[in-house]
Amino acid sequence: MALDTLTDGPEAGTTERWVAIMGGTALGLAGLRRGSWALAALGGGLFLAGAAGVPLAEPVARRVREGGLPAMRRMDVAGLLPTMDRDPTTTQANVTIATEPEKLFRFWRNFGNLTKLFPHLDAVEVQSDTESCWKAHGPGGMRVVWHSRLDKVRENELITWHTLVDAELPHRGSVMFHPAPGGRGTEVRLTLVYRPPGGQGGRVVSRLFGSAPEQQAREALRRLKRIMEAGELPTIDGQPRGRRGMREIVE
Amino acid sequence: MRALCWNGVNDLRVERVPDPRILGPRDAIIKVNLSSVCGSDLHLIDGYVPTMKPGDIIGHEFMGEVVEKGPEVLRLNRGDRVITVSIIGCGKCWHCEHEEYSLCDNSNPQPAYEEAAYGHCTAGIFGYSHAFGGYAGSHAEYIRVPFADTNCFRVPDGVRDEQAVFVSDAVPTGYMAADMAGIKPGDVVAVWGCGGVGQMAMRSALLMGAEKVIGIDRYPDRLKAAQMKAGAEPLDYTRVDVYDALLAMTGGRGPDVCIDAVGMEADGFDTGVEYWYDRTKQALGLENDRSGVLRQMIQCCRKGGTLSIVGVYGGFIDKFPMGAAMNKGLTFRMGQQHGQRYVKRLFEHIEKGELDPSYLLTHKWSLDDGPRGYRMFKEKNDDCMRVVFAP
Repeated sequence: MALDTLTDGPEAGTTERWVAIMGGTALGLAGLRRGSWALAALGGGLFLAGAAGVPLAEPVARRVREGGLPAMRRMDVAGLLPTMDRDPTTTQANVTIATEPEKLFRFWRNFGNLTKLFPHLDAVEVQSDTESCWKAHGPGGMRVVWHSRLDKVRENELITWHTLVDAELPHRGSVMFHPAPGGRGTEVRLTLVYRPPGGQGGRVVSRLFGSAPEQQAREALRRLKRIMEAGELPTIDGQPRGRRGMREIVE
Repeated sequence: MRALCWNGVNDLRVERVPDPRILGPRDAIIKVNLSSVCGSDLHLIDGYVPTMKPGDIIGHEFMGEVVEKGPEVLRLNRGDRVITVSIIGCGKCWHCEHEEYSLCDNSNPQPAYEEAAYGHCTAGIFGYSHAFGGYAGSHAEYIRVPFADTNCFRVPDGVRDEQAVFVSDAVPTGYMAADMAGIKPGDVVAVWGCGGVGQMAMRSALLMGAEKVIGIDRYPDRLKAAQMKAGAEPLDYTRVDVYDALLAMTGGRGPDVCIDAVGMEADGFDTGVEYWYDRTKQALGLENDRSGVLRQMIQCCRKGGTLSIVGVYGGFIDKFPMGAAMNKGLTFRMGQQHGQRYVKRLFEHIEKGELDPSYLLTHKWSLDDGPRGYRMFKEKNDDCMRVVFAP
């Protein structure tokens, strides 16, 4: 999919590419120097985009023209970079989990468990064999409710679903379980396809999924892996820190 | 409790902080008896490892007593005298099941840093920056250990605290350096760096059947320890040309195995010009890691030989002699230690008297002397090999 993005779109101009390469290098090094991994990563990304000829200036300019950058309170890097430039948007995450497909299928099939994978999800109420009601919250406690219908369920292999017409956040999703080679467990693939509507709905999407939906999908699978393998989500929340660190937390 | 906290580059302070508590069902709380400084801490203190935050408690090489445990800790009991491996494994992922604990998929609670920088995240490490999980370190009166059954090991009665503490990190790191190199009888092994890890690598190489071990450093006390305690032939790189000396000691072949026990803050192993090239770029932020040791190892290693790297690197290196490495058919092995794999074997070596790491401890101080201890360790005054804090 990443390849599609690189080859489908228009190529960036030479100047733009060199600006990205040079700027990326400078930013990356500045980031490493200042201890900012985010900056370093952004620098690296710019560098790669420049090297691969991914256009940066035009999509950003287009977003600004179309008013697609409403929630830029912080300098939000992910919102500026072009995501996969297609409609609807597809995001996908993959992980290998050291357990058999049956266990993972059973965990996912019990939709109540999904609140453990998606922190913004408060509850999933099963209403019939195929329909369920999903309740989530965004920042500031904004409540979002939608209904989903199961499309396909293949025992221990696949679950797909889509939202019903009333959804503020229309999307389709699928999760696939496939035995990994060499006794490595199960390869899990989560795919979310959603069509961000304009206006209010668009903001709902961006609030629920954040500015990087791939991140949400990846985090969900990471939580699944850690729950199934380690039996817990490793954390450092609540451990002791020195005074300056504690003050930071209070602030 | 008291703890040694990082507050900025070269700014360590002993502070009062809350006691740690059980956060997960597989956690244990250890009352720290001994906690050692480590060369890799200097990278944090000097500011070469990003993602340190003010207030972070440092220290990762320690032993102590189990005082509290979570409901799912089955193999440990209160009162057990234990060492804890400094790199945390969950014990359940594919890597842990294959004894590659430092590659654990699950123990790092903050995987985003490493995923952005390295492509994948590796294991969490105590007191070793937020890129490696941000776990509070061991220079404190108490420490919380996640996945305690996997990471804590009871110390046999025949092993003293001063020996056991180094089985947390220095001993398995050195032992793994020798193990990864696949040493065969007749091999000559050269070890760059005669600090704690280097000393243990030299001793381990001999235990594994090396014919001759050569220790390279510039501090007379460390070279002396390499000779007297680890059984190595010392080589002072400030007095001789390392390449000429190594070839003279190996009939012109070069060492079969070269071990890097120095890492990213290599001092002066290069000729002056290259060292200052690296040092300047590092200071300007154009290069993270100085790589003089690596260049020299590639140059000296016999054709078809093996480089085993346990000195810590964090980011990028420059002027890497890939042509020499490729055309000489060298093998590179490297990684953070998988201590859990070796602990039992190491205690056996210690009990049999084949290995005694306690000589690494040259200074046993109170935790209150933490900042002074690190200063001395860094400046290598007073023949300091390792300062160990007894909180």
